[in-house]
Amino acid sequence: MRFIPFSALLLGSCLALPAVADEGQALLQRLANAERTQSFQGTFVYERNGSFSTHSIWHLVEEDGALRERLLQLDGSAQEVVRLDGKVQCASGALADQLIDSQLWPARELNAEQLSEWYELRVLGKSRVAGRATRVLALVPRDQHRYAIELHLDQQTGLPLKSLLINDKGQLLERFQFTQLQTEAPAVVNLEPGVGCRPVRLSPERAETAEAWHSDWLPPGFSLSSVTQRRSPASDEPVACQVYDDGLARFSVFMEPLRGLAAEDLRTQLGPTVVVSRRLKTGDGDVMVTVVGEIPLGTAERVALSMRAVAEVAQ
Amino acid sequence: MSRETLQESLSAVMDNQADELELRRVLAASDDPEMRATWSRYQIARAVMHKELLVPRLDIAAAVSAALADDAAPAVQQAQRGPWRTIGRLAVAASVTVAVLAGVRLYNQDDITGTQLAQQAIQPMLSTPQASGQAMLAGFNSSEEAVGPAVSAVGQGQPGWHEQRLPAYLRQHAQQAAMSTSEGALPYARAASLETR
Repeated sequence: MRFIPFSALLLGSCLALPAVADEGQALLQRLANAERTQSFQGTFVYERNGSFSTHSIWHLVEEDGALRERLLQLDGSAQEVVRLDGKVQCASGALADQLIDSQLWPARELNAEQLSEWYELRVLGKSRVAGRATRVLALVPRDQHRYAIELHLDQQTGLPLKSLLINDKGQLLERFQFTQLQTEAPAVVNLEPGVGCRPVRLSPERAETAEAWHSDWLPPGFSLSSVTQRRSPASDEPVACQVYDDGLARFSVFMEPLRGLAAEDLRTQLGPTVVVSRRLKTGDGDVMVTVVGEIPLGTAERVALSMRAVAEVAQ
Repeated sequence: MSRETLQESLSAVMDNQADELELRRVLAASDDPEMRATWSRYQIARAVMHKELLVPRLDIAAAVSAALADDAAPAVQQAQRGPWRTIGRLAVAASVTVAVLAGVRLYNQDDITGTQLAQQAIQPMLSTPQASGQAMLAGFNSSEEAVGPAVSAVGQGQPGWHEQRLPAYLRQHAQQAAMSTSEGALPYARAASLETR
């Protein structure tokens, strides 16, 4: 007899929990589909510590399924990006000058199932953004290696109208929020690139240096998504760059040989983005390992400490 | 004079109930570090009772005394020369001002932190899932202190190395994200925000 209430409870919780999780997953799935199927245009603000900017977006899904998108900053310099089917067609100079082979990386789809392994999905209720009714979905990290995200998703279309990044202390790191949204298809003329929009150059380089590195430790769920090599911004040294992500958060790791130059370790944070530099001794002289990403400081620090030269591991 | 008597006198001074003798007793012992610590504890207790925010261990008097002690020597040395004497005095005044300002700044910072802690204690970041109503990750603060671009270099060996490289690293990171994900406009906005300083 004693077991009956317990098993009933167990059964009850089994029935109840998936229902909550399912709603979160359904909202995420709808979000992933929305941008592929829904035309819209609107304006949004982006705010982080030390920066506030306003932008327009035109997003057109054509009848054959082709996806055209144009983003334009409305204040300050006219930063602009035009995309066709997720591939960048052109970008204003400053927005693409640090890119090496941007178009070679596959765009990652939002994977609700994979994300729920690292984030707990909580439907927090209703809200109102840009004059529209929204559902609030929180992605709460299951460990200390990523930030929480609060998404306000349009009830009618599933589009994300507001997105907040929040650290473990409950502090707001950045805000992305629509101020106005129309779900009619934008006029094609609005999707034409402006004069400052220049084609993104493609100069794939071999990434031998980047492959010569591997990390002894990665935060759970993060995997290598791209490997590049570039010239150092300050010298002719090759800099290896590896990008890791968990499907939502991402960080880049840069490895630059110091060649006897003096430089101290460094930690800094710019809004949502943390920067940790640590000197690493290798057989080939000291290397500065720099982790840049939207991850907590402690996690970035541990990643920086865990980078190893593959040649040394083999020995 | 026993410790208890002194503490009673101190308590009386704080409550504005002290007579002439007690006041003298407390003033005479005001250089005693233990006495200062007791004073500080009493202030905290009082602040708690009055529900005030107060910074423990803010000893402006000590900071001012220290500044005066450091500056006293040059001021005395130059005493016989007319113009220097004035400058020496100005220097003392200036360093006292700095000490007081430093105290005020500390006070404000701690004050802010205290307020935040209080807020967070009342409102946990995430309330339990609710079907409707409060739909916010409540209690967040965009705190300058924690989120600001505070470069905390462990040492400033050659700041040039990082200054030459980190902006480019940051921008490469943001631009790669903006150009290669299908997450929509957020990575683009992050990259754009690095261009508008």
